[in-house]
Parts: sequence; structure tokens; C-alpha cells
Amino acid sequence: MNPKKIILCPECDLLLEMSSVEEGEKLLCPRCGAILGAPVKDSVEKVLALTSAGLLIYVPAIFLPLLTFDAAGIESSGSIADSFLALINTHFYFTGLMVFLTAILIPLVKLVMLFIVAASLYTGRSSRKTAVLFRLYHHLDEWGMLEVYMIGILVTIIKMLHMAHVNYDVGFYCFIGLLAATLGSAALMDKKLFWDEIDKQALAREQKEGILPCRRPEPNNGPPALSTQGRP
Amino acid sequence: MNNRQNDIACNVGQGPVTGKEAGLMICHYCHKVVSCHDYDEATICPRCCATVHTRKPGSITYTWALVLTSLILLFPANLLPIMQVDYLGSQEYSTIMDGIIYFFKEGSYGIGIVILTASVLVPVFKIAGIMLILLSIHFRWKTWLRHKTMMFRFIEFIGRWSMLDIFVIALLTVLVNFGFFSTISAASAATYFCGVVISTMLAAITFDTRLIWDTCIPPNREEE
Repeated sequence: MNPKKIILCPECDLLLEMSSVEEGEKLLCPRCGAILGAPVKDSVEKVLALTSAGLLIYVPAIFLPLLTFDAAGIESSGSIADSFLALINTHFYFTGLMVFLTAILIPLVKLVMLFIVAASLYTGRSSRKTAVLFRLYHHLDEWGMLEVYMIGILVTIIKMLHMAHVNYDVGFYCFIGLLAATLGSAALMDKKLFWDEIDKQALAREQKEGILPCRRPEPNNGPPALSTQGRP
Repeated sequence: MNNRQNDIACNVGQGPVTGKEAGLMICHYCHKVVSCHDYDEATICPRCCATVHTRKPGSITYTWALVLTSLILLFPANLLPIMQVDYLGSQEYSTIMDGIIYFFKEGSYGIGIVILTASVLVPVFKIAGIMLILLSIHFRWKTWLRHKTMMFRFIEFIGRWSMLDIFVIALLTVLVNFGFFSTISAASAATYFCGVVISTMLAAITFDTRLIWDTCIPPNREEE
């Protein structure tokens, strides 16, 4: 273990020395307060379990009817997939596309990606592709909006409570399950541990194959060498 | 903020204070520290293959462009009708504000406040907040750095919640479909509103918080 591991704060670029942190504690940047680490116990296993559960429940949650509104004997029900199709059918293509991406496609892609990453770390078979996949997960992270959709469902229910009788269908409960799995996997994912694990497995793989381990950047404590270069 | 200063990573002795001065940069995605030999030149992260920059290139320009775009889109999004209700053959259009006023009149203040926050206050706060941060970088205001970073973190967090109204309308379109009796569909403002959400979210992504802290170089050691 490197005794003086140098890190940089991703939000204010402060040069810091990494210190040990216990589970349940948070490591904060002393200057800007960014969270630099929040270890979770058995993070890989927990994420693997939650993403598998999420993937199992994904199809019923998206395609089964969520609610049935009953107004004077006329019933109408729909699923999340229907809400996207309804926008397309009424020619709101851009809005429909946004709903499709944020509520249907990206949540699925995120779950699949996280599942593959957690599974390959769990079995010790992570590769360069795992690292790229995990990076892409961070790209997509805030574009999956299942929890916003959940509040949307609640607002819809409250809005229609006076006008129609509301029946909760199977899809509604499946959606709650999917939401819990997605939120849980994101909350229990220890980013730092995942990256360290990817590093560790890459190093082990390289040593096994007889290739030199990748050079770690040494902290440069001397005068900054960057300004002397001169910019073109 | 309740930070446990003693357990926290502490500033390295007498050496340089920021990564930029030390000739180091951090991968924005996997947070790996990479040394930069040539100032401002991008390298590939050895761990996750992302392009690593000392600062996000063109950050200020992109963020200004996206914030101004969302500011322009905010007007049609709020002034045009976002929902069309056909009730017994008569058409009725309502804007975002109409929907909120409806809830307050009905007496459901809780839900009214949720929608007011998500669809009106959040976009306005985001645009105003990002513009304030950009102006403070432009004029090199060296105060409230920590608070500005915290505000930006909050802006980043709340960004996605503006989609709430769009999801509600999408659901109402499907679920309130009682033929001639009553149907609901989206109206023109929905597209503009989506545009506001996307451009403010992208503005938060293109902005580099480290630029806030660059105003205090050479850094003041008594800062903490």
C-alpha cells in the first residue's frame, strides 16, 4: 500500500493525501466539501443482488398497466410504455423521445451496465471493457429518472382523485420494486471501491500475463514543470 | 457542514496546493490522478479510457450558451399552454401556472407546492444560479467560494426533477382517455419545457466547478 497516496478533489482541484476511512463515514474535501469517499460494506455483492432484482422486475414494471381510472363506468388504464406511445401518437415526438429515454431506455441500460460491472468484479473477470462500461454508467447516471416518474405517478393520482376512481394495478407495485432496486443499487454502489477493484484486477491480470504493471503517476513536489513548456 | 476534519484527507505539507500547479490532473469519471506533462493537453485515462483535461475545455462558453438557450426557452415553456383538456367536446388549454393555481384552489397545497417547485422554481433557480456563478468567475469575485460550490452541487441535484410535469402529462394522456367524455393531451409548451430541462442539465454537465476555485490562485493557505 502506498503510504502517501495523492488524490485531487474532483470539484476544486485541491491536492490531498488520501486517508483511511471506515464504513459509514464520509471523506470530505476540507476546502469545498465534496464527498471523496463513502465506503459501503460488501458493495459489489449488494449491487449485484439489487441489479439482478431490478432486471427481473423491469419488464412487468414498464409494460404492465400501472393504474386504471374509472369514471362513470368508462375505464382507462395504461403502462409506462403506453405513456410514451401516447405522446408519439399525438405527434409530440421530441417530448415522447425524452420520456422514452429518461423513463424506459436509460434506466434499463443503467441496470444492465451496473449488473455487468458488478458481475465481472464479483467473478474477478473485469477487463478494460468493464472500466469503459462503468465510465459510461456515470455518463448516463443522471438521465435515468425513475424516481421523478414515481412522483409523477403520485401527482397524477392526486390530480384525478376527485374525478375518477383509481385502481392500482400490478404494474404499479412492480414499478415500486424497480424503483427500489435502482435507487438501492445507486446508493450502495461505492464508486471508489469499484474503481480500486477494477485497478487491482487489471494489475493482477497484467502480472499474470507477464506484462509490466502500468506506471503510477508520482506526485511532483518540485516547482511546477508545466508553465515552462510554453503554449503554442 | 458536519465534516470530520480529523479523518479527512489533509493538505499535503509544503507542496503545491492544486493539482494544476502540481502538474497533476484528475480523470473526471474514475477520479484517477494522472500527471500532465504538457499544460492543457488532454491525455487518455489509463484506467477508464476517458479523455482527461486539467479543466473541461471551453466550459465557460458552452455553459453560457446552454444557460442562455434555456433562458430563451423558458418563456414559451411557461407562457404557452402545456396541456389540452377535451371535456364533453369543448377544448380547454392550460399553462403550467394554471395547473398550479388549480391545485391551490382545490386546497391541495402540498401537491401544489411540489409542482410549483419542480416546474417553475427549479428551472428559474438553476438558470439564475448558474448565471451568477459564471458572472462571479468572469469578474473574479473571490468570496463565497464554498457556498457557490454547494449551490452548484444543489443545482446539479435538482435538475432532473423538472421533468415531473412532462411525466404527469404523459401519464394523463394515457389514463384520462374516456373517449368523447374527456381526454387530455400535451400541448405546444411541452416541447419547449423539455428543451429547458435538457439545456439546463447539459449546462450543469459542461460547467467545471474547479473554475470557481481557480479565482483564488495563488491560494490563500488560511482558506480552510
